[in-house]
Amino acid sequence: MPTYILQRLGMMLLTLWAIVTLTFFLMHAVPGGPFVSERMLAPEIAAALNAKYGLDQPIWVQYLSYLKGVLTLDLGPSFKYPGVSINTMIATGLPVTLQTGLLAVICVVALGIPMGIVAALNRNRWPDTAVMMIATIGVAIPSYVIATVLLYVFALRLGWVPTFGLDDWRGYVLPVFALSGFWVSFVARLTRSSLLETFEQDYMTTARAKGLRPGQILFKHGLRNSLVPVVTVLGPVVANLITGSFVIEQIFALPGIGRQFVLSITNRDYTAIMGITIFYAAALMVMILIVDLLYAVLDPRIKLSGARA
Amino acid sequence: MTAATMGTPILSVRDLATSFFSQRGEVQAVRGVSFDVHPGEILGIVGESGSGKSITCMSVLRLLKATGRIKSGSALFDGQDLLALDEADLRDIRGNKIGMIFQDPMTSLNPTLTVGEQVIETILRHRQATRSEARARAIELFELVRIPSAAARLKSYPHEFSGGMRQRVMIAIALACDPKLLIADEPTTALDVTIQRQILGLLRDLQARLGMAVILITHDLGVIAEVTDRIVVMYGGLVMETGPVRDLFARPMHPYTRGLLASVPDLRDDSHKRLTPIPGSPPDMAHPPAGCPFTARCPHAMRQCAAALPPLFGDSHAARCWLHHAEAPRIAGINEVAA
Repeated sequence: MPTYILQRLGMMLLTLWAIVTLTFFLMHAVPGGPFVSERMLAPEIAAALNAKYGLDQPIWVQYLSYLKGVLTLDLGPSFKYPGVSINTMIATGLPVTLQTGLLAVICVVALGIPMGIVAALNRNRWPDTAVMMIATIGVAIPSYVIATVLLYVFALRLGWVPTFGLDDWRGYVLPVFALSGFWVSFVARLTRSSLLETFEQDYMTTARAKGLRPGQILFKHGLRNSLVPVVTVLGPVVANLITGSFVIEQIFALPGIGRQFVLSITNRDYTAIMGITIFYAAALMVMILIVDLLYAVLDPRIKLSGARA
Repeated sequence: MTAATMGTPILSVRDLATSFFSQRGEVQAVRGVSFDVHPGEILGIVGESGSGKSITCMSVLRLLKATGRIKSGSALFDGQDLLALDEADLRDIRGNKIGMIFQDPMTSLNPTLTVGEQVIETILRHRQATRSEARARAIELFELVRIPSAAARLKSYPHEFSGGMRQRVMIAIALACDPKLLIADEPTTALDVTIQRQILGLLRDLQARLGMAVILITHDLGVIAEVTDRIVVMYGGLVMETGPVRDLFARPMHPYTRGLLASVPDLRDDSHKRLTPIPGSPPDMAHPPAGCPFTARCPHAMRQCAAALPPLFGDSHAARCWLHHAEAPRIAGINEVAA
């Protein structure tokens, strides 16, 4: 197991390097640059800026110096906001994104899985129909539509929650709801179908033939076997939610990193694009590693061998 | 042990009817089955796939899948009707007074729990015992079913066992609470031939040592002949013939039973005669025939057979066949000897 994790971490570094390299050269291949704007800069000023940020160097020199920065965990200065480093940028945006993201993750787990269980236990009866209807709506309607409707009804019409900002708990309600809506629905559907499949298994009949109580049968024998596909989905979902959503952060005016990421692209803020990409990739890979480790906990037939990697 | 047919039965099934409902309509899997199991006897239920033998036993413990429904009948066990009992009381009987073994040991154990846990949870469910007491009992059970190095293997997962060993675990689970009745649903069908022998021998030994009654469901007449005391032959959701194993093998009263026996190779017979298959296929239970379900395949079928379902003729050895009616024509080997 420890060798397995070490091997995986090694692979992750390799993957990160590939991502850094690809992003770096793709980004530079796109025409334009951070200091190109409609108002033409005087050539001397542009040259000075380029020199200051090292953009006058050959591209491979820029690449190597960036790589050196990444290795020392220094993601460099922002090209757009003078005096702001990307490390600071992530450090200020992340707490906001992380808070709403983690709350959304909790919603996905605490609402999605129970909804799926209720639906599966009441197959083809009204609770199942109700859950499936909500879940279908949740999957079908894009989050920005949900967010806008929620804002209109609960913030503007009813005035129960603020229209923007995270000053108290009420500010979190709508963004978290809008962020998690799709995934709650998705996980509810997945849990339901996975559980229904498990119910058909022979060992579930064995569990009943042993005289076990319904709770024991559901949680000890049914749920654990049904959770493997759910956990598979949850890994990337967690990575996705905690790294922020541009749309939701924009609509609710939350100063998170999801918003910064998209702004950095329109700004050609090279270091910001790179930094947030690396951060997102790392978060995703860590989550996938956690998912793989969880598989082995959920299903003893899955062996984590160092040889596989 | 034909003397076991005396006294009060431990399980008495009467007029059991079970159907499955789907979009295509009703499939009548079991259509009025009655039989008794006496304390300490091994009752064999034999029949081909779809004859209703497994569904009969699953109905007795009400373990049917969601689409199955018990339409009528009773199953008296220990003075209680299992089919009328409320679910909570029935749960106290399942795994406790009645143990059950299933056909496929590869899929009948939960892959995510250790085999020890799967035995221990059954004990803890029905007995006032601490975890360590239950564990000690589990080791005892593993030794009873001859799983080597029992204590160490409690921590193994099902996928670390062979099919035969898994079936031994299933037997240990079924016997965990000293059941009065053990229902074994094709316990050897999914196993290699050599392992089949071992498991069958084990079941017979355990029955002799522990003295519980056993219902052994199988399509293998060899298995039946070897271990059972009495036989119930099922076809088309009905009991076609029932009787003590010796009588039934020596003088089968039903043409279907005769067909079954003729289709089994006899290794002691050197005459090189060909095995006789039963032509045709079993009836479609979504539209069961009005008369005897075997009519279409029966070499002795009469007009009466298609018209009306025969009752069981006889007492301790009985058959559901019009040939045993007083006015039926005489046919050598069937009603001539039996009459």
